[in-house]
Amino acid sequence: MNMFTQAFASLGTTLRIMSYNKVGFAGFLMVVFIVLMSFIGPYFIPLDTVTKVDKIFQPPSAEHWFGTDHQGRDIFSQIVHGGKDVIVVAVIAGVLSTSIAVAFGTLSGFAGGRTDAFIMAITDVMLTIPQLPLLLILASLMKFENVTSLGVLLGLLNWPSLLRAVRSQALSLKERDFIEAARSLDLGTTHIVFREIVPNMMTYIIISLALAMTGAIYAQVALVLFGLVPFSGSNWGVMLSLAWVRGAIFFKDSIWYIMMPIAAIVLLQLSVVTTTRSLELVFNPRLRSGE
Amino acid sequence: MATTFDATKLPLEAERKPSRAAGFLNSFLLRRLLKALFTAFVVITLTFFLIRLLPSNPIELFIQELMVQYSMPYHQARDQAAALFAIDLEKPLILQYFDYLGGLMRGDLGTSILSPGTPVTSFIKRFLPWTVFSVGLALMISFTSGVILGLLMAYRRESLLDHILTVLASVLSAIPNYILGILLIIWLGVRWGVVPVAQMRGSLSPGVQPGFTLAFFQDALFHAALPIAAYVLTTVGSWMLTMKSSTISVLEEDYVTVARAKGLKESRITTAYVGRNAALPLFTLLAISIGFVVGGSVLIETIFQYQGIGYVLLQAVNRRDYVVMQGVFLIITLSVIFANFFADMLYSWLDPRIKFGATE
Amino acid sequence: MSQADDAFFHHAAAGEKPPLSLRNVHIMYQSRKGAVNAVRGVDLDLRAGESLSLIGESGSGKTTLGLGVVRLLVKTARVTQGEIIYRRDGLEMDVSQLDARRLREFRWRECSMVFQSALNSFNPVLRIWNQMYDTAKAHGWGDRRAVREHVLNLLRFVQLDAERVIDAYPHELSGGMRQRVLIAMSLLLDPQVLILDEPTTALDILTQRTIIELLRRLKDEQRLTMLFISHDLAIAAELADRIATMYAGKIVEIGSADDIFYRPRHPYTLGLIRAVPKVIGEFEDLVSIPGSPPDLVDLPSGCKFHPRCPFATDRCSREEPDLEQVGKDHAAACWHWQSVAEELADRPLHQSLPTLQTAQSGE
Repeated sequence: MNMFTQAFASLGTTLRIMSYNKVGFAGFLMVVFIVLMSFIGPYFIPLDTVTKVDKIFQPPSAEHWFGTDHQGRDIFSQIVHGGKDVIVVAVIAGVLSTSIAVAFGTLSGFAGGRTDAFIMAITDVMLTIPQLPLLLILASLMKFENVTSLGVLLGLLNWPSLLRAVRSQALSLKERDFIEAARSLDLGTTHIVFREIVPNMMTYIIISLALAMTGAIYAQVALVLFGLVPFSGSNWGVMLSLAWVRGAIFFKDSIWYIMMPIAAIVLLQLSVVTTTRSLELVFNPRLRSGE
Repeated sequence: MATTFDATKLPLEAERKPSRAAGFLNSFLLRRLLKALFTAFVVITLTFFLIRLLPSNPIELFIQELMVQYSMPYHQARDQAAALFAIDLEKPLILQYFDYLGGLMRGDLGTSILSPGTPVTSFIKRFLPWTVFSVGLALMISFTSGVILGLLMAYRRESLLDHILTVLASVLSAIPNYILGILLIIWLGVRWGVVPVAQMRGSLSPGVQPGFTLAFFQDALFHAALPIAAYVLTTVGSWMLTMKSSTISVLEEDYVTVARAKGLKESRITTAYVGRNAALPLFTLLAISIGFVVGGSVLIETIFQYQGIGYVLLQAVNRRDYVVMQGVFLIITLSVIFANFFADMLYSWLDPRIKFGATE
Repeated sequence: MSQADDAFFHHAAAGEKPPLSLRNVHIMYQSRKGAVNAVRGVDLDLRAGESLSLIGESGSGKTTLGLGVVRLLVKTARVTQGEIIYRRDGLEMDVSQLDARRLREFRWRECSMVFQSALNSFNPVLRIWNQMYDTAKAHGWGDRRAVREHVLNLLRFVQLDAERVIDAYPHELSGGMRQRVLIAMSLLLDPQVLILDEPTTALDILTQRTIIELLRRLKDEQRLTMLFISHDLAIAAELADRIATMYAGKIVEIGSADDIFYRPRHPYTLGLIRAVPKVIGEFEDLVSIPGSPPDLVDLPSGCKFHPRCPFATDRCSREEPDLEQVGKDHAAACWHWQSVAEELADRPLHQSLPTLQTAQSGE
């Protein structure tokens, strides 16, 4: 019982701190909303898969909140179901990229010397290669059965710029006094890395995670949109792709079919980015003012 | 002054300027050049092995296809594949690699599978300039606008204009560039009819001859306008925000106060004292931007049917024309490497602290 | 602009009206905690050809006052009251009332400033020559060759290798060199008044020496009118004709260097001087002024120094004293300056301060 109340209390404090930045907090709420909608919503709102020829491209109505698509199916339910894949890929890719970036970035910055030079050489080369064309070529050469493999691939490509940022932060932290103090107290490298350096870099890690996720969303929607990844089902990217191909842009009422997934994607991107501003406040107490 | 130790006669403690040649050898630029060459080499090698070592080896796939489609015996299919890919499949991999390198030196990137007889280099010659034109122009416009708007935002901090622009910048940066392209077509073109998107498709109107004529340039700009708009709108946001924060920190520097104390005109201070110093950090952003925009060109050009090298790449990918894919990818990457080096040169020219023997 | 080589500095004759007079100047700025009264009614005359040193701790208002003269305060600060009178050739004007254009003309041409941190006072992307020429051009002097000649002369005057320094970038010069270039630059337009804010604070000891020598040459040879702002008594001892001590935004004592060092009449001044340890002789206990500087948002009542003052009485906590004459050309703002005089009679200061001693013996 005690642990629960403690956990709730610290959660409450965290939320309170986050609310100091209004925009960030709004973004956070939006992210929570989208996640809930995408993972829990499908249990409540069934996906409309029935083709109704007489109801093609209907504008929003009481029955169909977002209108219908080129096959007369309800758009709203598709939006609710469509976020899951996108989010899962983004999270897998984001966590993977960030882990690689943080692990090797701190190692590189802290260790210096040959390790640093080696890691930086690889990073620099990967940074120069334009990501999207590489992705396209790989997509054409490899098979993607499911979201996980796509997430992994994106994660493996996204880390270079993040690693660079993490490394420069590690470099600047390396020379700081509290590190010297920890060293002279003989606290051990693991301790130094995990208890001294990482907490100071949390802001960077959070921002890296957000950037990695937005990058992954960008890449996966592009891949689906241009038909390079044979996803079925109705994730937002697929909706967008179908809408484009079926000429949804040309009919007055069909605009909803193409705008809704766009709105969902852009909203997700924006919310993730603004949430970082609130999260910064949590991890970097110096940014808090006027409490 | 009769003291034994006369401090005023100490030797002047200046740093000695290295000779120009030594300066270059030690310099920032040389290191960047070497890095560029090294990266180019790695990319060339990577491209070679990528195609051959992936699970679904496109060459093998192609051979299978030939055998199936034309009932060719294996060795004939293989010979044809070899000819098209400009490689000799008999030799061990490593010798094939050297052949490949040799071919590159001669400018031979192979021949297209699907348009037999057309060397990849001809694709590149025909389509690359269009991409360079649109992407280059877009980057220049985006950078310049970002710098000017960022300055404005910093000078009028916390004003209504600042807040509006900040929101605009943040929102624009969050929209993927290809989606912005779609939005431009939907809203500007179809719904509001402001822009004749149908006519703006493609890179050139039918019947217009390339050449150094005004009509040609006007037509080229007409067709490039939408892609350029898409690039600019999605990149200007980050330039603006970076320039704004950079300018804010420069404005707090002592030398700006001194400049005012000297009675310099505000306009001179803004350009030569604030602007030049604040814009410097943006050049590190430039390298990433170039890669990103060139990469995005693949999608943007497809959406607008703008026939540049990105369009060619996507077509090749969709049609599994591996030779073209390989060649175009190589060229795109090499262009980015070269453009990055150019950005480095520009930066070292603008920041005198970088010129001689500076460490990164 | 007359550019005869020897006489390129302004020669001040005795008996001229003071080039700079401050009358009841108040400067206030807004901070998050409230209104900060940085300068609260300063009256000061900077006499022709003299060098006056303004001494005080951080927070005393001395830097704010210096910046206020050329109106370089931050946006949140304002001169709320008073006049800053500048005089030349029989004409006078109130600097605080100048419009933007005339203010630009006033700056540097009439009154220039040498800032505290020379390290960052130069634009990193422009050569020294460009920054000099910018200044000249901004004041209507566009003759490149003449300006260049003048700049080379000035650089030689501050004992630098003129040819090399003029085309150098700031980062190619050391801290001491940059400070000298700054001094040269401040003399570029032959100003009448020169304000120096902590000119030697950021430098190492040897460089400090060279700068002080340079400033002394400026003072002795060229008779430039200078206002030194510092917390360092040593520089005042070396270079000042008169010294004014500032506390909590007001001048609490002003007099000749001798008067201040040998016959201080304000408890704060006394405390400052006593706090400087002897370099030679036996070990003495360090005497410092107890307490800390007041909060400028919430100042104590009456005399602002009374909470830390060993001579304070009831009256001091109620009424704030004004400057009153305590000697010939010597004034102090204290109700009990006579007690201070008596105290000094009983327990004299060190007979001579170490810094003054070497300066005098060196001549």
